[in-house]
Amino acid sequence: MLFTWFLLAGLILFIAPAKWTSNLQFAFLRVFNWPLSLGQNISLSVGTREHLTNEESVSRTEHNQLKNYCANLEAKLAREQQRVETLSGLPNRSFLGNAKLVEALVYTSSIDKAKGEVSIDAGGSRELERGQFVLAENSIIGTISDVSPVGTRVKLLTSPSSNIAVEMGGVKRFMQGIGGNRAKIPMIKQQPEIGADVMAARSAGILSTPIIVGRVAGCERNAESAALWDIIVEPALDIDGLRDVVVIVMNPGN
Amino acid sequence: MRWFRFAGLILLVMIVQASVLANLDRGPNLLLILLAFFCIYCDLDEAIITSFAIGFAADLSGASMPMGPQTLSFGLLGTALAHLRRVVNIRNMPSQALAIFAVALLAGAIAQFLAIFKGQAFTAQTWGILLGVAVYSGVVGPFLFLPSAWWMRVRPSRLAR
Repeated sequence: MLFTWFLLAGLILFIAPAKWTSNLQFAFLRVFNWPLSLGQNISLSVGTREHLTNEESVSRTEHNQLKNYCANLEAKLAREQQRVETLSGLPNRSFLGNAKLVEALVYTSSIDKAKGEVSIDAGGSRELERGQFVLAENSIIGTISDVSPVGTRVKLLTSPSSNIAVEMGGVKRFMQGIGGNRAKIPMIKQQPEIGADVMAARSAGILSTPIIVGRVAGCERNAESAALWDIIVEPALDIDGLRDVVVIVMNPGN
Repeated sequence: MRWFRFAGLILLVMIVQASVLANLDRGPNLLLILLAFFCIYCDLDEAIITSFAIGFAADLSGASMPMGPQTLSFGLLGTALAHLRRVVNIRNMPSQALAIFAVALLAGAIAQFLAIFKGQAFTAQTWGILLGVAVYSGVVGPFLFLPSAWWMRVRPSRLAR
């Protein structure tokens, strides 16, 4: 009779839905959580001690460190892939040769068209120097004017203090910024066509190949010599919506 | 039968089985060893009660299996072993080891078979695990009979039978 009663109880337990009976198992785990975890730690520590003698295995601490490192690497990889997508929009990137492109974010509130200045955040890159060209949407917008730990200032080509070497129609001249989002190439013999490209001239250690800076917007007679022309240049890029730029670092590591 | 000592012993073995021995796929099953012990050295009624109680304890501490199969298998085989002890004297350690091995193998097989009805899969690897548990339990079991007898205050005359 005793056997029958217990067998019946066992059958009831067997037939009962799992969601009811699993509560009993969870209750056991909750009530005896401390001794169970103590036993698990003993079991794991014994196992770990065996693995430590194996050259191919690492401790749990080192395993966690490596796991976190992998997670950080994956995040960095995703970020780098995004950068590649941004930079791959540059056509003929090979024309820059061995130049390194340092990506920087623009402080949009710092854009000053009147003064011709803008501040950027290059993430503390130590390769930035004064005079390096700054690229945005495949055109040069200015040069680095000041580098500091808190940020980097860029002097736009239209800044009154800007004076860079340019090429136009095979002729090299200096282009000066005149403010108001414009620059001027003074004293040109031949009147160029409106819309002609104005390229930044190659410069050893600064720029290995000409890159567009703007287009001819107008021509004026030179005030000192009526036979010569002053060329008015507008930047190839409207910086109002600028979000990120690229600094051209020639010969990185030198 | 000292039921409080029995409860304390079963509780201790449950915790050890579910924690320290949980990482061993083919380690000894201490609850099966205790099942054999109580069925060999207790009266029939006590053997039936302890068999089902140990089976329930095995279900409770085995989080990976649904509840019910081990209660039934332990209860059935424990009762069968208690009846068998009346006919066959299990005196020496080799006999005890054989009894533990047989109970472990059959109880494990019945529990796995019943677990199929509750959605558990039965793979070829399961047989290897059952055999490993039965072998290890049979080897280790007889050595645990003495400390268990000491704890449960089982009379020496019973051990000599």
